[in-house]
Amino acid sequence: MAEWAANFSDLFYKCFIREDRYKLLLSGIGVTIKVSLLAVIIGIMIGMLIAMCNLSRKKILRFVGGVYTDVIRGTPSVTQLMIIYFVIFASVQLDKWIIAAIAFGINSGAYVSEIIRAGILSIDKGQTEAGRSLGLSAFQTMSRIVIPQAVKNIFPALCNEFIVLIKETAIVGYVGLMDIQKAGDFIKSATFIAFMPLIGTAVIYYVLIKILTLLLGRIEARLRKADAR
Amino acid sequence: MIKVKNLHKTFEDLHVLDGIDEHITPGEVVVVIGPSGSGKSTFLRCLNLLETATEGEIYVDDELITAPKVDVNRVRQKMGMVFQQFNLFPHLTIMENITLAPVLLKKMTKEEAVKRGQELLERVNLAEKADAYPAQLSGGQKQRVAIARALAMDPEIMLFDEPTSALDPEMVGEVLDVMKDLARSGMTMVIVTHEMGFAREVASRVLFIDQGVIMESGTPEEVFGNPQNERTKNFLSKVL
Repeated sequence: MAEWAANFSDLFYKCFIREDRYKLLLSGIGVTIKVSLLAVIIGIMIGMLIAMCNLSRKKILRFVGGVYTDVIRGTPSVTQLMIIYFVIFASVQLDKWIIAAIAFGINSGAYVSEIIRAGILSIDKGQTEAGRSLGLSAFQTMSRIVIPQAVKNIFPALCNEFIVLIKETAIVGYVGLMDIQKAGDFIKSATFIAFMPLIGTAVIYYVLIKILTLLLGRIEARLRKADAR
Repeated sequence: MIKVKNLHKTFEDLHVLDGIDEHITPGEVVVVIGPSGSGKSTFLRCLNLLETATEGEIYVDDELITAPKVDVNRVRQKMGMVFQQFNLFPHLTIMENITLAPVLLKKMTKEEAVKRGQELLERVNLAEKADAYPAQLSGGQKQRVAIARALAMDPEIMLFDEPTSALDPEMVGEVLDVMKDLARSGMTMVIVTHEMGFAREVASRVLFIDQGVIMESGTPEEVFGNPQNERTKNFLSKVL
């Protein structure tokens, strides 16, 4: 047992303490959080836009929305990330992490749009009719009557999408960003030790997502409480 | 006030309205009766453009509202609508339900709307429910709020789509009382209902619709007392 513990602490020292390697992981956490947060915001904005397209009465908008969702869902996110980074933003001067966040936002938008669409469709048609019969515009009815009610239905699925997105960002190493995954990988190459850096990476992701799940769970409970009246 | 000319409505293969001609004058209380699936609700919904007519013309105050470029929202502000399922907004209080549209459409300031809302709630005997949420109300109370909500826009015409059909029997009376009161105040009303007693008492005119056409139109005495059409007789013998 003592031998095992000594061995463990030796590995721990080599992987995380020596040459200040923990700093790599810390900055990696920063990168993962930055990219995920911006991507979520972009994703929700695109998602709303595409959901509106898909729910529109105009055929051309529905077509655009359909193609968007179809293409994004039909191609791997690594491929999308690399196309956006090396092709579309090839000659644009922007921070790497922002470009990556845009790529993940574009990807997430397709999934978020379906979540929002389903949430809006879950609200009874009578609500829209009541709003319109009072003379409210389609937009006013949507923003004041339908969406406030849909949010409660949408929220849990949106949280799930956020969590998926965070884990998805583990591929940003492909465009040269040092996130948690890449930092762990780097330590593995530098030390020739696989176990400690990879398990460490997994633990960090797990803790991050656990904290987030707890936070979002609280917000959801609040929304439900307001619903109980 | 409302003129309908040769109104047709088809849903795919189904001919729901098959040429309706009708003229509703100010102050009239028109009660529309007929078997289910006869097209009476569709007729009502066409009047405020919740359904788009397939063919035909509808004029409100001499304006052709079935024209393609018409401002639908402005037209609808003239017509209040009360639904079978109430359709109150569950995320808003009763007062907010009533004031939402007048404030949003800049008909009134928030304060004016609340004052008007209070008056309307008193009129439907629900003044103490202003801060409640729809889920806390009974069906009859909800429907009375729905009527107040429609009245808050000061409409010229009120449309009722089977307003008592979703209510428990003991709550029907309180809603009909509010509607009677409204009729006496001179409001122009078009009411789709199965309440024959109410039709008899309040209607200035009764329309019998079947298979998408107006089969019979006349005073309650005429239609109920001495129906001319075979189908009207048949229908009335089943419901009276």
